[in-house]
Amino acid sequence: MILLLGPAGLLLLVVFAAPLLHYAWLSNHADSVVTGLEPVLNHGANWIRLLQDQRFWQDATQTLRFALVSVGVELLLALAIALLLDQRWRGRGAVRAIALIPWALPTTVMALGWRWIFNTPYGPLDQLAHALGWPSLNLLANPAITWIATVVGDVWKTTPFAALILLAGLQTIPGDLYEALRLEGGSSWVCFRRITLPLLRPYLALALLFRLAQAFGVFDLIQVMTGGGPASSTESLALYAYLNAMRFLDFGYSATVVSGSFLLLLGLCLGGWLLSLGLSRPQRQQEV
Amino acid sequence: MSLRLSNIGRRAGQQWILRHLELTVSDGECLALVGPSGCGKSTTLRLIAGLDPADEGSIELGERDVTRLPAVQRRIGMVFQSYALFPHLSVADNLDLGLKIRGIAIQERRRRVSDVLERMRLQERAAHKPAQLSGGQRQRVALARALLRDPLIYLMDEPMSNLDAQLREDLRPELRQLVLRDQKPVLYVTHDQHEAMAMADRIAVLHQGRLEQIGTPSELYRDPVSLFVATFIGRPQINLLHTDSSSVLGVRPEALQLQADGLPCRLTHLEWLGASQLWYLDSPQGTLRMVLAADRRVPETIRVGWRPQDELRFDAVSGRRHR
Repeated sequence: MILLLGPAGLLLLVVFAAPLLHYAWLSNHADSVVTGLEPVLNHGANWIRLLQDQRFWQDATQTLRFALVSVGVELLLALAIALLLDQRWRGRGAVRAIALIPWALPTTVMALGWRWIFNTPYGPLDQLAHALGWPSLNLLANPAITWIATVVGDVWKTTPFAALILLAGLQTIPGDLYEALRLEGGSSWVCFRRITLPLLRPYLALALLFRLAQAFGVFDLIQVMTGGGPASSTESLALYAYLNAMRFLDFGYSATVVSGSFLLLLGLCLGGWLLSLGLSRPQRQQEV
Repeated sequence: MSLRLSNIGRRAGQQWILRHLELTVSDGECLALVGPSGCGKSTTLRLIAGLDPADEGSIELGERDVTRLPAVQRRIGMVFQSYALFPHLSVADNLDLGLKIRGIAIQERRRRVSDVLERMRLQERAAHKPAQLSGGQRQRVALARALLRDPLIYLMDEPMSNLDAQLREDLRPELRQLVLRDQKPVLYVTHDQHEAMAMADRIAVLHQGRLEQIGTPSELYRDPVSLFVATFIGRPQINLLHTDSSSVLGVRPEALQLQADGLPCRLTHLEWLGASQLWYLDSPQGTLRMVLAADRRVPETIRVGWRPQDELRFDAVSGRRHR
């Protein structure tokens, strides 16, 4: 039996554990043009630099903000869409297929599209503002709000994926549960709160997990839409790690950024897990 | 009369899936609805419960016209085929939810739930989730929920079809006793005619959305109005002999007897039923099924006949009984 797990274990080792360990090792080495692109042990100097690196912490905050807002909005939208697509109505099949298009588009293509929509002064949004006599929106050049534009792009792209997971969850709920509650006098809201939401919880958790992990590692959308700007206000950790390696050719420090991001995400997951344990325990007692 | 259906009809698109249904069930009476799949028996329950609207006719429940009332105002105690228990709630919470929604005070709810748990012998299971229960226990929880509704009528949609044969037999008297204690009408849907005969005071046979016949089990057995009822009620199935082109002759396997001037037959197969035995016979009229006492030996030559009063004659085209 154990042997049967071998291939899967090997795969995980090669694609997951090995790179992780390699980066952990590299994060303790200087490896840049200065060292002739050879790793030289520097005893944690990278990590001290990371702790003092304001850009890293600013990017971490920005990445977290982007991930939480984007995934939050997305799940709410996805839930609404899934509930709608779960109803029977004419043309539902076609709409289901159309709803998946944003998710099927390559990120670079859709990110270019959004960059054009937000373009100043030629994009349609700016044109509209102009027609209404408003000042230019400047959505991609204002450090205070440009991150919201990237959230819009991300929500548009990934909501279908979350909706698909939630729709699959909705379809596992037997219809006679709702009928049984209707006979007892349950309104639509009561049915949603007492049946749909609790039975959808594992699917919500799954969508949340998938999407948070993806959003935390966002790279391509930001790179294409804003390149991390303006004034690195939209820069994500993945983008910062990429810049360190590919622009500054500092592979050692880039590995430290990657490892640091990994530890942050791990801490975040642990925190979320402990929080969910704490939240679900009193509820369980209440049920008995 | 506590339930009266008058000229009830239900359409699916252009097609009637149930039509001209007339039924009455009195307090403390159990009526079984039987028929093949798609005959409209579950549809009937759903119309009475208010889960689907009737497209025609009226439904009276406890001297009140409920045809246009929403489901909740009809006070229905329904047991679903799947039991429809809430998988994320404990047994006690499953039972409590309906009371809670109807705004009953917490002390009253606790009292009622613990009463019904005791009555159904489920006290030990109060904190368990439905997935942790046996099939029989789940069925009892579903029934307990219906009892808590304090309903005007009980509707049961194949409540035993998910249980194994032994348990089903054991539960029949118990179920009957539990629901009839309230002196409320019970409408019981099943496709198992044995179950229908065991549970019900009267049986209604539905066929292609029409009421074929309604009566006591023995009326349906002895005096079927049509070929369909004759073949649907009674196992082993009635023998059908095509004597001439205009009519079909039916004789129950139990009514066949060995007699010297009967049809010459050859035994092809014998099934041992314990208290009796079932013979499959090859006759000039086709295959015959015959039930005999268990101790009867197979004679050298088999000649089979029946008494004229045991003959049931049906029209070959319409299937109606010739009187």
